[in-house]
Amino acid sequence: MSWEQFKKETVKVAAKKTASHLTPVSLHFLENCVGCALCEVNCPFTPVGEEYGPVSKAEPLRHVLRQEINVLPMLFPWLFDGKLPKSKEELDKWVDLAYHCTNCGLCYITCPFGIHSGEMIAQLRGFLAQTGRVPSLLKLMVDAETSGMFLENPGFKQVWDNVMSQVRNVANVELDKKGAKYLYLPSLAEAMITPGAVVSTAKILSKLGIDWTMPSKPLSIRVPIGKLAGDHESTMIIAKKIYDYIKNINPEYLVFSDGGYPYTFFRFELPGVVGEKPSFKVLHLVEILVDAINQGKLKVKQTNERITWHSPCKMGRFGGLIEEPAEVLSKVSTNFVKLKSHGLFSKCCGGGNSIACIVPPTQEMMEKLMGMKLEITPTEKSFLDKLYRDMLIAGREKVQEIKESGATVVSTACVGCFHTLGFTTKAHGVNVTLKTLAEVVAENLE
Amino acid sequence: MDLLDLAIYVLPPYVVAVFLFGVAYRLSRYVFLWKRKLSAPRRQKSFVTLLVGLVKTFLDPLIIAAQKRKGDFIGGLIALHIVGVIPLIFLLGQHVAMFSYWLPFYSLLKPFAIPTSITTGSQSFFTNVLPASSMSWTFVNTIWGPLTIILNGDLLAILAIIGVSYKFGDKIVRALHKLPHLRPGDFIDLFLLLAILVSGFLATHHLPTPNIATYRLVLGTHILLAETLVAYLPFSKFWHFVFGYWYGKLHEWYDIKFNRGSL
Repeated sequence: MSWEQFKKETVKVAAKKTASHLTPVSLHFLENCVGCALCEVNCPFTPVGEEYGPVSKAEPLRHVLRQEINVLPMLFPWLFDGKLPKSKEELDKWVDLAYHCTNCGLCYITCPFGIHSGEMIAQLRGFLAQTGRVPSLLKLMVDAETSGMFLENPGFKQVWDNVMSQVRNVANVELDKKGAKYLYLPSLAEAMITPGAVVSTAKILSKLGIDWTMPSKPLSIRVPIGKLAGDHESTMIIAKKIYDYIKNINPEYLVFSDGGYPYTFFRFELPGVVGEKPSFKVLHLVEILVDAINQGKLKVKQTNERITWHSPCKMGRFGGLIEEPAEVLSKVSTNFVKLKSHGLFSKCCGGGNSIACIVPPTQEMMEKLMGMKLEITPTEKSFLDKLYRDMLIAGREKVQEIKESGATVVSTACVGCFHTLGFTTKAHGVNVTLKTLAEVVAENLE
Repeated sequence: MDLLDLAIYVLPPYVVAVFLFGVAYRLSRYVFLWKRKLSAPRRQKSFVTLLVGLVKTFLDPLIIAAQKRKGDFIGGLIALHIVGVIPLIFLLGQHVAMFSYWLPFYSLLKPFAIPTSITTGSQSFFTNVLPASSMSWTFVNTIWGPLTIILNGDLLAILAIIGVSYKFGDKIVRALHKLPHLRPGDFIDLFLLLAILVSGFLATHHLPTPNIATYRLVLGTHILLAETLVAYLPFSKFWHFVFGYWYGKLHEWYDIKFNRGSL
């Protein structure tokens, strides 16, 4: 269905489907908000406008669910705030709200009632996807990942081959090796945005002398990309496909260098999606690094470069790896500095949850890479142009922290954060070098 | 039978029945929606770290509000909740007496009862005037001592009225800004709370006119409105006080700190 269309029947079906995913936790998110709006104070998008505060962005989902599951809003929707969008313009407004959220979780831990508005907004994206409102580039990626068609694109293939040729230069690794103890799982997005992370991780794993392998072909664009559009079906399909590959290799450990949503998904959500307890443990590279450096298995040279760490929300707040990267970086640099908000309340980069990956400059980059032009309607174009401007505002506080830290190198471990910081630091005139955690460590190996 | 008799002697069992039905309805939805789902192994953290994390889970929003939303912190949390409605509802001398009538074990809180006004507080402290009956004595001879000069119904009610008015103002400003999260229920709830506070204050001071009939009408209205709130509580955002707040913060702690180890 086109972005320009609006069909009441489709909207009704979407509402029913959205309500069918209700759990006790999402019921709590739905009905226990008192509207105090404290969540606004930490949301990266509030500086864009108070209508982008989490409570306001989550409200459309509440409208949908109330009239689906509560008796009084079904009978008197006007009095009990149950409603569905009545026009194309209203639906477009909801899209605008839903895509002004990085799902960074700051609203969740700021809320006096533990309401995760980001999760509600993710469900709202699911509702909107049912009505045909998914940004074109994101839709293309979801479809390509689910079908596996991305492997056939020459541009993507070239990117992967380039990275693999660099991997072969630094590591003697047998690809797709069954029974390897460690399986490293990089994505195509890493090969595109942070190729250095893939090469450096390969270098580190080889240096450790452990029995490891990695896939000869990318298994995903960035699994499960469908989750960003609220596409449960796609998430299920691709998760099962990759899970089967992992089971076939049968490793003891599954390793990620991307600390964005792929790590959190495999670490915490996979059993619930595939319905099995995996036989392997899921690790982020930093967990291996902390142990290896502390046990003297990996020796690093110390640099005096002023390095700081941007904690990706999925790896830190939602992954529990908050101090580990700082521990590793402080071993590498005598001049390591923590950002002001370092910790559980670390500020968001402003472009996660697919935002930086759908804005016009990324779209242009992807079109060039894929060798094709995306057909975008005028409504979608104006939505994406505004989203890009707003993303730069949302990222301002983080950039300010980086500036105040005096760091010359900003390290992170998430493809989305890395990509966003590239835009925001440049836009706000802060001249820093961005490096992934793996790169910083690999460059300083003894 | 007038309004006061109706409110005191007839309605309470019905109010409690509606309240309990509402509680059962809301809790049962959580039970019926629950499905067993496989979960990943949690990130291990020490018991002490998790305990500190639990306390911080409840404290963090308060600290953030104090730092970044001073108006809400003072008006909404301190005036309305902490020194406003919470001590007023549960510890005002008249309320302790009424709750003790229906729930005898509540009389254990009598030593903590808060007197009505600064006059009763200061009299009991400075002049040691003995009340006419031993029943009243219980309510002025509380553990609060000289604190009753500040800790009295009048002052707490005024603070609570200021708190509710602040929230009203905040909602009106947000409504004028056409923010999507404004709900009609917000205004109904605040209006009900304000009406209870004002009618209670008037009844205590025998206002607007000091005759028995007016007093019984105003007090009856106050109690009736309070009963409306109790019956309506499980169906409104007042539910946060009974369930939403506790469930939400405990779930957040379980999810973020206990399970994911983000501390």
